[in-house]
Amino acid sequence: MDEVLSAAFAAKEPWAFDDAYQRYGSLLYSAAYQVLDDREDARDCVQEALARVWRSPDSYTRARGALRSFLVVCVRNEAITRLRAKTRRLRVVERVAALPQEHAELGDVDVIERDRLRAALATLPAEQRRPLEMAYYEQKTHTEIARELDQPLGTVKSRIALGLRKLGAALGGGR
Amino acid sequence: MSEHIGDDAALYALGTLDETERAKVESHVDACDACSRLLAQALDDVTAVVEAGVQSRMPLPASRSNWRRWFAPVAAAIVLAILPTAYLLQQNLAMHRAMVAESQAMERVATSPHRMVAFTGMDAKVMYGMHGSWYVVIVRNAKAPVDVAWMHDGTKTMLGKAEPHGDVALLYLPKSHRMDQLALVSNDHTMAQATLVY
Repeated sequence: MDEVLSAAFAAKEPWAFDDAYQRYGSLLYSAAYQVLDDREDARDCVQEALARVWRSPDSYTRARGALRSFLVVCVRNEAITRLRAKTRRLRVVERVAALPQEHAELGDVDVIERDRLRAALATLPAEQRRPLEMAYYEQKTHTEIARELDQPLGTVKSRIALGLRKLGAALGGGR
Repeated sequence: MSEHIGDDAALYALGTLDETERAKVESHVDACDACSRLLAQALDDVTAVVEAGVQSRMPLPASRSNWRRWFAPVAAAIVLAILPTAYLLQQNLAMHRAMVAESQAMERVATSPHRMVAFTGMDAKVMYGMHGSWYVVIVRNAKAPVDVAWMHDGTKTMLGKAEPHGDVALLYLPKSHRMDQLALVSNDHTMAQATLVY
């Protein structure tokens, strides 16, 4: 079914957009929320990222891999762009108090998954874990990471790539 | 054909490339099967990390049982803080709204990426958001309210009192800036300090 949906999405079949949103919406929302730490922003971010992908010709082709992972990364990138552009943060309570409803997917953190990620991160050597954390959690560019760690750009890039591959393999990425 | 993307596949998937670099990767993978597979793998790897939950930034506990011992009283204290909300609804609508906002904020705290560090000098910890947008000070075995202060530039700014609920005192602080040093204070005497890293 993933294959059919990916092909239809690439061909811009209208049903594929709805189907992708239904199937991956929660995951995409979580991806945005992890970066933005704000429910409303995360909602807007998902909608904007999906609309952009859908509007752009050839934005998704089979050369970009699985549709699910492609959309997750698109949403994350949109979230990172938004975070970098943000000039100020509203206070937590004000934002939370204004929320119209709850989101089950946020209140339902999978403890086993979380522990699995912690354990997988802990197995990485520090020289791979630190730049990877800076890239993933702190949304820093590789140039910033190289400068902060005082390491050559090429070294930082290869350590991030190696760390990500090990982490992905430990978590079952690319099964 | 342009240069193979190599490590840039991971950087693309992590979102650390700029627009020009991204476009370069995209145009290359459209014409190179090997790099297309490399990129697909990197996208899957990042997706696996995203799926693995939102609280992973928390430092690893010393042991699983240790964390559970600590979590139970904190969870109980949070519940105790929320319970009076129903009663307050009848008594004071304004206060009720504030309590609801606080309980929702606490729920948000529990599901946000955060860190936790211990105070030296007392059985206390501070949980805080990675961007300094919120802080929760937790003091165990607290019989009375505990003053919490921000230490900066040689001065002490009082932030509020951690109020006891059961044997745990809590203070939730929504903030818009990072605080590097917090202290627990009694009668103008610093009882404990915590250094926060981001």
